[in-house]
Amino acid sequence: MDWLKILENTASSLVGIDAAYFALAALGLNIQFGYTGLLNFGQAAFMACGAYGIGMTSQYFNVSMWYGIPIALAFVVILSLLVGIPTLRLRADYLAIVTIATAEIVRLFVRSVRFKRFFGGSDGINSFSTQFRELSPFNPSKQYGIRPFQYSGYTIWTLIVAWVLVCVFGIVVFYLMRSPWGRVLKAIREDEDAVRSLGKNVYSYKMQALVMGGVIGMFSGMVFALDRGSVQPDNYSRDVTFYVLTALVLGGVAKVSGSIVGPMIFWGLYVFSDNTLRELTKDGGISIFGVGILQKSQVGPVNYMLIGIGLMLLMTFRPQGIFGNRKEMALDGR
Amino acid sequence: MQERKSFHAVVSCVKALVVLLAALFSLGSSSLARAADSGLTIDVSVFDQEVVNGTTERLPVSGVTVVVKTEAGVVIGEFVTETGTGSVSVPVPEKDGYTVELVLSSLPDGLALIDENRAIAVITKDAFTTSSKKVTFFTGDVGESGSSAFERIAQRFADGVRLGLVIAMCSVGLSLIFGTTGLTNFAHGEMVAFGGLMMFLFNVTLGIPLLISAPFVVALGGLFGLAINGMVFAKLRNRGIGLISQLVVSVGLSIMLRNLFLYQFGGRTKPFSDFSMQTAKSFGPVNITPRDLTTAILSLIVLVTVALFLSRSRTGKAVRAVSDNPTLASSTGIDTQKIIRIVWFAGGALATLGGIFRGLDEQVGFDMGSKLIFLMFAGITLGGLGSAYGALIGGFFVGVLVEMASLVVPAELKAAPALFILIIVLIVRPQGILGRKQRVG
Repeated sequence: MDWLKILENTASSLVGIDAAYFALAALGLNIQFGYTGLLNFGQAAFMACGAYGIGMTSQYFNVSMWYGIPIALAFVVILSLLVGIPTLRLRADYLAIVTIATAEIVRLFVRSVRFKRFFGGSDGINSFSTQFRELSPFNPSKQYGIRPFQYSGYTIWTLIVAWVLVCVFGIVVFYLMRSPWGRVLKAIREDEDAVRSLGKNVYSYKMQALVMGGVIGMFSGMVFALDRGSVQPDNYSRDVTFYVLTALVLGGVAKVSGSIVGPMIFWGLYVFSDNTLRELTKDGGISIFGVGILQKSQVGPVNYMLIGIGLMLLMTFRPQGIFGNRKEMALDGR
Repeated sequence: MQERKSFHAVVSCVKALVVLLAALFSLGSSSLARAADSGLTIDVSVFDQEVVNGTTERLPVSGVTVVVKTEAGVVIGEFVTETGTGSVSVPVPEKDGYTVELVLSSLPDGLALIDENRAIAVITKDAFTTSSKKVTFFTGDVGESGSSAFERIAQRFADGVRLGLVIAMCSVGLSLIFGTTGLTNFAHGEMVAFGGLMMFLFNVTLGIPLLISAPFVVALGGLFGLAINGMVFAKLRNRGIGLISQLVVSVGLSIMLRNLFLYQFGGRTKPFSDFSMQTAKSFGPVNITPRDLTTAILSLIVLVTVALFLSRSRTGKAVRAVSDNPTLASSTGIDTQKIIRIVWFAGGALATLGGIFRGLDEQVGFDMGSKLIFLMFAGITLGGLGSAYGALIGGFFVGVLVEMASLVVPAELKAAPALFILIIVLIVRPQGILGRKQRVG
């Protein structure tokens, strides 16, 4: 067991790019799920909007990557209207069903052979981040920082951009939720009918929250795509939304701090468990009394099982997560 | 028009350039050099399958392009199947996960993959038991080429009826669980997968004939449903945890179970050992295997029984009463907890049976249930959340629609019309066909 390596990887994952893009996605999901009580199970589709928006600019339209933002915004608005119009008047679980279905269809759509011309099929869109990397003031061949926080020039550039976005949107969400607009959202979560009786257009507020959360999710997808330099349709499967949700609940819903620290801890735990299991199975699998219980190829599923168990336990025993307030988690349908 | 053409020309030039660059790049990079040392190969073959006088003949297909990539998505190269053998040997650098994608547009005219969804073969690291790994693609008669429009529609309709019956069977439990407890159970698909995988365990691993072990598997599925209720959701109800929180817990349960299945079963789909090879017989315009015909008839019998049970028997009436209004039902002396347990047992058993039928129809895979869950939700929303008859009608309709839709939309997108239906229903009649109208904001 190489504990030093495991701990180093864990420490660096706390501030890694995965934590950053999860934090952005969680901030968006927090507006919908935490503050407004909307069960958006299709955050992955909003992330895909951002990623494909930016990917398509350079690959197919041959324009500056900055046009990716308006393109992705258009995608987000269309998607929000598509899922929002039929469901936002109804009970919360309808939105859950429709968003999860839409996210799945969006993924099938972008990976289909029929639309390969636009979205690149199952290969996705590759190598489009040159423009982004050219903006980097760092020397790509140099290493920056000290171990375990040591990164190449490209990585540190992406990391800085990502965490700056997290901070900006964190502050935006923090003040938005203290504005009259944000207070209406929280009121909708607590008692929709009461808000309606005060003459507020609940439907419109919910739609705004959906779009707002989707826009932040869109930036999450962009950061992820720019880091990888590629967009793969299967990176936006429905489970991604659930992992983001787990990270959010872990940090604490309806709290800005929760949606930033939650993903950091989530990735720390994930990388720790993943690295430990991989070290354990490095020389063949683990077996007890001759019965193999863990092969190297089974490490992935075991990690995800732990995430599922974690989500169940959190919702049952500590729905407010680390920072949250139990009163703000008073979600109930019917 | 001219502009669009030149745009396309530019796009295709750019694409050609990218491919060329990628090819050059991979030549220069070490991956191919290392590949030569490793001696590992993936042998890709493409065969055209034709049924002649009841026996299947395989003819090699040459000139088909396949793209091999590593698990991380790094392209190893594009390869073309050779004349005569219809196969090509692809050297790979190491024992690792790879994907082999058949480029559909490179197939000769008139040939199509039997299953367009299987254009990509995934090779896991463990698949390299020897130094070479075989991947075979089959093209052939999809039951449509050369047949008339009427035959195609009839065939699709028959397939749709089979799918619809399975979806209806799986979603009765989902709808009744919602009606009796208010829970939107996202883990219901995993009960379907449980059925398929358990059947696989009995039939293939233990070698017990399918017909003998099926009743045990269905009973196990019922117990599995009871266990999920008893160990998770009954506890949550007793703790007074809200329905939305329960919904999120069911999502966690679904993730956990699906990965448990993946951990135990692995990622590939596998067939049962009984009834897996059958040739289709013609019934008028429709080709159907005796196996599929039997499962369809059995499904129909089961569904009629369920409907009769719900409408005639005392327990069935109690189930509907609780589903309609749990508080009112319990005040009339119905033991709601007992009814909830019955619903979970029956729901689990039906989902398991659905899983077995689905496994017979396609193959068994760890994610066979999560692929269906969205169609099930579309079905019960259409029929009316909480209504058992609604689930039967809605599930059936969605199955037929999805299969019929593949006449007009590409097969890979045939689930999209179900979403369309879902959205239209929610706009026009949110309570569904048989649901009770309630106040909407």
